[in-house]
Amino acid sequence: MINRRQLERNLLMVAGIIMLNGILAVNLAHGVLNYQTLGAVTFIFAGFMAANIVLCKVGHTGDPLFLPLASLLVGIGLIIILRLKPELFMLQVMWVGVGLVAFLISAILAKRLEQIAYFKYICGFIGVGLLLSAILFGVDIGGNKNWIIMGPVRFQPSEFAKIFIVLFLAAYLSERRELLTLATKHYGPFVLPHPRFIAPLIAVWSLGMLMFVLQRDMGAALLYFGLAIIMTYMVSGRSSYVIIGMIAFLVGSVICYHLYSHIQLRVDIWLNPWSDPSGGAYQIVQSLFALGSGGIMGSGLTYGFPTMIPEVHTDFIFAAIGEEMGLIGAGAVILLYILMIYRAFRTSLLSLMPFSMMVAAGLAVSMALQTFLIIAGVIKFFPLTGITLPFISYGGSSIVSNFILLGMLFSISEVRGYDAK
Amino acid sequence: MRNDMNDLAKNIRKVALGLLSLLVILLFYLTYIQVVQSDFLIAHSLNRRTLEAFRMIPRGMILDKSGEKLAYSKKVGDSFKREYPYGSIAAQVVGYDSITYGRSGIESTFNRDLTGNNTSIAHLGAVSHLLTNRSGNNVVLTLDAAVQETAYKALGNHKGAIVAINPSTGAILAMVSKPSFDPNEIDQQWKRISTDKNSPLLNRVTQGLYPPGSTLKVMIAEAARREKVIDLKEKIYCEAALKIPPDYVLQESHLEAYGNINLEEALAVSSNVFFGTLSLKLGYKKMENTFDRFGFKRSVGQELQEVASHLPDFSSLGDGDLAQTGIGQGSLLVTPLRMAMLASSFANEGKIMRPYLVDKITDLDGSLIKTFAPAEWLTPTTPQLAGEINKMMVRVVRDGTGTAASLPGVLVAGKTGTAENAQGDSHAWFIGFAPADNPQIAIAVIVENSGFGGSIAAPMARQVFKAALQ
Repeated sequence: MINRRQLERNLLMVAGIIMLNGILAVNLAHGVLNYQTLGAVTFIFAGFMAANIVLCKVGHTGDPLFLPLASLLVGIGLIIILRLKPELFMLQVMWVGVGLVAFLISAILAKRLEQIAYFKYICGFIGVGLLLSAILFGVDIGGNKNWIIMGPVRFQPSEFAKIFIVLFLAAYLSERRELLTLATKHYGPFVLPHPRFIAPLIAVWSLGMLMFVLQRDMGAALLYFGLAIIMTYMVSGRSSYVIIGMIAFLVGSVICYHLYSHIQLRVDIWLNPWSDPSGGAYQIVQSLFALGSGGIMGSGLTYGFPTMIPEVHTDFIFAAIGEEMGLIGAGAVILLYILMIYRAFRTSLLSLMPFSMMVAAGLAVSMALQTFLIIAGVIKFFPLTGITLPFISYGGSSIVSNFILLGMLFSISEVRGYDAK
Repeated sequence: MRNDMNDLAKNIRKVALGLLSLLVILLFYLTYIQVVQSDFLIAHSLNRRTLEAFRMIPRGMILDKSGEKLAYSKKVGDSFKREYPYGSIAAQVVGYDSITYGRSGIESTFNRDLTGNNTSIAHLGAVSHLLTNRSGNNVVLTLDAAVQETAYKALGNHKGAIVAINPSTGAILAMVSKPSFDPNEIDQQWKRISTDKNSPLLNRVTQGLYPPGSTLKVMIAEAARREKVIDLKEKIYCEAALKIPPDYVLQESHLEAYGNINLEEALAVSSNVFFGTLSLKLGYKKMENTFDRFGFKRSVGQELQEVASHLPDFSSLGDGDLAQTGIGQGSLLVTPLRMAMLASSFANEGKIMRPYLVDKITDLDGSLIKTFAPAEWLTPTTPQLAGEINKMMVRVVRDGTGTAASLPGVLVAGKTGTAENAQGDSHAWFIGFAPADNPQIAIAVIVENSGFGGSIAAPMARQVFKAALQ
């Protein structure tokens, strides 16, 4: 299976050339070559190549697309961060480095994924604990109240919690899938299993609602809520769960809409941003201006004005890509995510164990939901939610957790190759 | 177990399809925003991008016909500041350019050229940066800064307007409106300037509407000759007032009875009775037709942003009102520009050239980008009739009401006016051209609420003629 790694290496080189190109473009537009930034991207490129070599050495036969796709997304992210916030560039480079190490560890450790199933409740508690810690001790940084500060370390626990929640749900649900399929109770047109089997799901659901209300974090709430419902659907095949879940969420949202003015504001802004373009809807309107001004070809790197959007380097980084790289660049980014998520689902479907199928599918769902929610928010397809764009947005927690997630997917994608041999 | 795995795979496949479809929908919506909505979003007034892009390169200069700077951009720190060396002298023509309060005048109408006309290639993406101009283009006006300054000073502290055009080309040589403002101070003084009840921002030449008074008589004289209601030698007996049934009395302004006079004499003394009589002889149809011929119902084009003249509804005019219209009173209202154009038709063998303010666009180095050629607008009358009226107007300045406009050694033609109005004292008018035998400049002067045209407006016209013909 050495040619898988060879393919990976070739693709990594393509991604590396694209990244180097972008970094050079930003540098040259400012008229000076900053050797530090060039050194940094060389370091990142070397890091990816080194990861490839390590995987080669340990004989890993994981999907050869994951790493190149991630390196391309990371590259685009680094280019746009260098252009938007040069002072954060080196930090992001460091986080990508840490992320690569985390990827390798995760890719190798997750070979023993089945053992994790035994610790599902521990995973569940860690996941819930991380979310609760954000709810209870969360500190507001840059408008998102989901930061935990422990001495010199600060991170966003919700970025990591999703991995544990997926592991827990996958283990819990795959063990009980017969019970869930053979539902026993009838509630009107709906068929549900006995409440005690879906208690953990209700717990995740309540947690989502709690985040929604207490942290104003609609994005994370939707993410966890959607994750729980979709994973339940996958094992049960019953759309009634999805329908009930959506009704529950809609009812919850309507109640919240009437009870909480900030949620009302967000929805109103989404419905009609042009009624208050300089006030509440300022950010989204600026984002639309950026995207529209970018047009098909974009303004060219450094020639746009994406810095007119507040928080452009985290939540709105996609709008900056749309403005300076145009529909071509922004569309390519969406296509990269589609490709990555497709490979993740493919990994799940080619896996032979129900548990690993569920883990891979759960991780794919979380990545898809997260990507959809943030991009849809930035382009006003959906109310704005404050979550990060995987592999692109600035932030250590986001980068590292997504690399861990990718490492797990990578590891699961190997099993099939091993069996096929 | 195997069967169960197949079910799980089937469900996962459905979920995958659903979620990937959502992302594909996003791709379509993104295309909608970036392609279909693009123009709307770029042009939106709250989108500061275009403005910011323009601020990164120097805006082009606005120059007079001989290259005198009327507006230019000076680098201050990282951005550019707009300077107007002539200040209030050409304020309404040149206009202002303010981040906060927008633009006016040439700064507004020729904004695309002044900013370098880079918008059309913005859709080319990064490639467009190879093609964009590094500075805006210069707009060269037909204005003569020296004549403009003379006209500005001539108006003194009066409210009013002076416009001078080259009758054979339509090129506008001077365009003064008072009171004025200093465009250098637009941001600091905006509140005072914009709320001043005397409207300093208004360009009275193109946007001020006034009754033309007796200056209109030159046109009635032409109509009477054209429609053959009077012969050159024919005399009409003029009393001090003309009774028009049922109950209207048209009076001479000084109540003098001119007795038996012909058309030329009547124009020289500006007899209301004579021209009232001519108007009645012409009748409303021919009167309306005359206004139409001289272009009072047509726009001269977008560039000058002129307001439309206000003409009476001729078909419903009584005889009294018709006679009033014939002496430039009643509900008739016109812009000073129109009266200068009327004068120019008799200076230019019966042709009116389209008035224009911008001669050419040049780039940073002065190379030509675009020129605006003179264009014929209307031919309201024949060279022969124009010559007759020309001669009569020379007589007005030689020994009629307009003697104050005469210049030694130069044949000046003109017509005065003293227009009654609802706002107070009469407006003083003078229209004319010089030299009458080889016209270089046609003029309209209006001085609001200041009395007789012959004593107030004619001397101002004289100063402008002198400056222009030097």
